[in-house]
Amino acid sequence: MIPSQAFTIATRIINQLIRDRRTMVLIVVVPLVVMTLIGLSFPEGTVLDYIAPALLATMALFFSFLLTGISFLRERSQGTMERLMASPVSRLDIVVGYLFGFFIFALLQTLIVVLFTIYALDVTYQGDLWQIFIFQIVIITAAVNLGIFISTFARNEFQMVQFIPLIIFPQIFLCGVIWPVEQMPNYLQWLSKILPLTYGVDGLRDIMLAGKSLLDVGFELAVLVGFAVVISIIAAFTLRRGAAG
Amino acid sequence: MVKRGPTAPAVEVDKASFSYNNIKAIDELSLQVPSGISFGLLGPNGAGKTTLIRLLVGLLKPKSGSVRILGKTPSRKTAHLIGYMPQLHSLYTELSVIQNVDFFARVYQLSDKHQRAQRVEEAIRLVDMWQRRKDSVLRLSGGMRQRVSLACAIVHNPPLLFLDEPTVGLDPELRVTFWEHFATLTKQGITLVISSHTMDDAAHCDRLAFMRDGKVIARGTPSELQQATGKPGATLEDAFLYFIHREDRSDS
Repeated sequence: MIPSQAFTIATRIINQLIRDRRTMVLIVVVPLVVMTLIGLSFPEGTVLDYIAPALLATMALFFSFLLTGISFLRERSQGTMERLMASPVSRLDIVVGYLFGFFIFALLQTLIVVLFTIYALDVTYQGDLWQIFIFQIVIITAAVNLGIFISTFARNEFQMVQFIPLIIFPQIFLCGVIWPVEQMPNYLQWLSKILPLTYGVDGLRDIMLAGKSLLDVGFELAVLVGFAVVISIIAAFTLRRGAAG
Repeated sequence: MVKRGPTAPAVEVDKASFSYNNIKAIDELSLQVPSGISFGLLGPNGAGKTTLIRLLVGLLKPKSGSVRILGKTPSRKTAHLIGYMPQLHSLYTELSVIQNVDFFARVYQLSDKHQRAQRVEEAIRLVDMWQRRKDSVLRLSGGMRQRVSLACAIVHNPPLLFLDEPTVGLDPELRVTFWEHFATLTKQGITLVISSHTMDDAAHCDRLAFMRDGKVIARGTPSELQQATGKPGATLEDAFLYFIHREDRSDS
């Protein structure tokens, strides 16, 4: 169950985004444009089929991280975090509220992107569609929490912008999106083991390419859930009352 | 509400110090604010007014000394007893006036729907924004945003209100309106702690503390402070300069 204060925060985030129509349109349109461009750049359908699971995992991670990170930072820069921190709301309420608020939009985005990739870009897949969605939901949860966590270290928009390539690019290059992890030097393979996208890409590939079930990718799921839980607890701690300004 | 005697102070600060990276913002400051009055923290920028307010609302903890509000150490448990209007407007600009005020009503756990709706309306009406309640904050002028920000701070009917430079950027007419709002609040028995760097504001307060370099250099009613200069017809500005010079002389 969501505690009532977290529910209040989640509802506010949903209201905020719904009233910001341009952002709503961009949330839907931007991933579709990116996916279309990538799709068109692969004339060979089989190559796209192979890379699509990794791209879906990456997009889910990237957009959810970005959306949450930036809006959490805005809470600080517009001074509302200061107000919240002086109120009876707990830090965990704030983190959980954000998770649920953004989760709805990240989920909507992922549903549209997955369906678009499969039906408009004609990517063939094995496994069940609902299992693909469940796996994507877990990636989103981890990414939303990562966005909250990272934004607690940024004091302004410039700093947050620096964190985006730091968090996203290594994952794109080290987590098996472009080339297999096994072909990288040993120390980089070790590094890839601590990055969540590695498990997102592995799991989604297993489901979409090998037709495996969620039970088969239980290890990857468990790592991603564990990552989400640990990072949200740390985020609640790094969100100190004194660090509101 | 905390049960307290009629003379118990709303705010008690005892030799509190706070520094940011070894720069002293509050320097062994002691202060008492009686209940039910408007109390002005007056001083130039950098005097430590905002830091003191942040200590009082529990956003910062004193490095030494103690801070108490309504007899308790500020914490999340005492948060419902205070209203806080930070220096920034601190509003969700995409949301409407009523959505902002309602959000803070919920944050302060006004869970009864009917009671909450009533409080939200009262708070918005008090700041004369009821006509614009459905407008996005984004469409409002700076002065209107200040009014909405005040409504958010008072919606849960707190006995103690901290307002950090609430009249900054307001035109003279709106400034008068704000002081009328504050007078209405003190009549309701609410204690107001207001920081400002303008002496216009100071004249409206029941009691004042002049602050400089993280310390209180003088305190009293506006007329007491004016009389302390020994000059007939001295303004509060004269009084402030008098205490600054006196402090400088005693330092040297």
